[in-house]
Amino acid sequence: MHEPVFSYVPGVSPLHKLDPRTKLVVVMLLGILAFRIENFAGIGALFILFFALTLLSRLPMTVFFRAVRPMMLFIIFIFLAQLFFSDGRPLATFWVLQPSMEGLENGLTLVSRFILLLLFAALLTASTDPSAITCGIERMLRPLPLQWLGISSFELATMMNISIAFLPLLFERVERTKAAQAARGMDFVKNPFHSVPALAIPLLRGVIRDAEELALAMESRGYQGKRRTSMHELSMQNRDWIALFVIVLFIIIVLNL
Amino acid sequence: MIRLEKVSYSYPDGTPALENINLAIKKGEFIAIIGKNGSGKSTLALHLNGLLKPQKGKVIIRGMDTRDISKLPGIRKLVGIVFQNPETQFVGRTVEEDLAFGPENLCLPPVEIRKCVDMALAETGFEKYRYRSPKTLSGGQGQFVALAGILAMRPECLVFDEVTSMLDPDSGTDVLERIRKLQRKGKTVVYITHNLEELHAADRIIVMDKGRIVLEGDPESVFADPSLQSLGLTLPSLIELAARLKTCGVAIPWEKTSSPHSFAEEICQLFLKT
Repeated sequence: MHEPVFSYVPGVSPLHKLDPRTKLVVVMLLGILAFRIENFAGIGALFILFFALTLLSRLPMTVFFRAVRPMMLFIIFIFLAQLFFSDGRPLATFWVLQPSMEGLENGLTLVSRFILLLLFAALLTASTDPSAITCGIERMLRPLPLQWLGISSFELATMMNISIAFLPLLFERVERTKAAQAARGMDFVKNPFHSVPALAIPLLRGVIRDAEELALAMESRGYQGKRRTSMHELSMQNRDWIALFVIVLFIIIVLNL
Repeated sequence: MIRLEKVSYSYPDGTPALENINLAIKKGEFIAIIGKNGSGKSTLALHLNGLLKPQKGKVIIRGMDTRDISKLPGIRKLVGIVFQNPETQFVGRTVEEDLAFGPENLCLPPVEIRKCVDMALAETGFEKYRYRSPKTLSGGQGQFVALAGILAMRPECLVFDEVTSMLDPDSGTDVLERIRKLQRKGKTVVYITHNLEELHAADRIIVMDKGRIVLEGDPESVFADPSLQSLGLTLPSLIELAARLKTCGVAIPWEKTSSPHSFAEEICQLFLKT
């Protein structure tokens, strides 16, 4: 069976114990930093920070390989595009293509930025329970005047939670619909165009029915889309403030490299 | 505890689903609502905690009218509904999270929410599944989790809408046994089904047809009513057997028709006497 990408790995490491809001803010800051820095020293420092945090999290490296692997084709494509289509000092000549020194530098920088983004996101999701992440997002969004848009932070958090919880049911429904259509003679390989509506229409009908039943069950359990509390009590501890201070210090140092 | 007064409801296309329903449910009662598909039993269930509002008449739960939106959180805390399909009732990624959903909606503090979750897990004997994904559980286990999700809100009345229809017979029996235990502990139970085999223990049976209550009484009198079969409902096999034996002059007492075991015992006793 395929191991899910960006999945939570339960643990008791210092990174697991941090408040989800701390981790969300840190990942956002490091993401911005990765796209701000231009030099290799800064990028190197970010990789060193990532390895230090990985050691601290006691997470297996496979978690991070799994996060990067699905994007490898895209990463290789942007590297090659930068390498061959950037103006600059030519390194060599292959037929009509001329890789340049500047292209190599740009490609490496861009690819490193993407990989860093994926790695820090994987570090966040592997060390934080998904419901704690949504709870953290909800608490961070709560002060915003979202009611002007006709939604509340509680609704957004519930939507995120349900989307995560309902994905396996959706995949199962796809498989069931495919099996039911195949049993009635549908060949998904021979007739890919003809099979799309045969799969999509019953799937959509089923998903809408599931959504209606879920909405009834939620309403029956008192859900009104308004204020609700959470089992996950979030409170910023000393370790969270220390972590934030260290990261801000790191960012200042890297920006001055 | 629950009172329905002259309740009528039609679907948006104009099809009448409930017509002039009058019903009173007492605290601690086990009421079964039966009827063939389309008779209006599920629509009635949705009226019991304000998921549907009557177009005519009113539904009063402990003095609270379901048409009053401000009373809905209180009504839903008092009356919980367990639906047919466990899969579409799960909101959480783990059993624990799913059970916390109701208490979170009641805006309880985190400590209280944990207490409610622990209590519901203990009540259903599902402590070991706390961190499991509800999607990985079997149908019967899933229905127990759905029940625990409602119990976590500490309701006084539980409505079960055809909860055993998607389960295998053994799981169905387990779920039904748990429901009976809850009723013995003082919960009011409204049990909706079209499987009459499950209703021997009910205090009262309501038979519905075309949105109306057509028959009402204790199981013995309802099952003895000749109009039941004309409503498209099949008698439980043991009760039908007892009725046929009666026509041959062999009387089986009502309480002996509750299980094959007690029925066989009674037959053996009759043989020994003769």
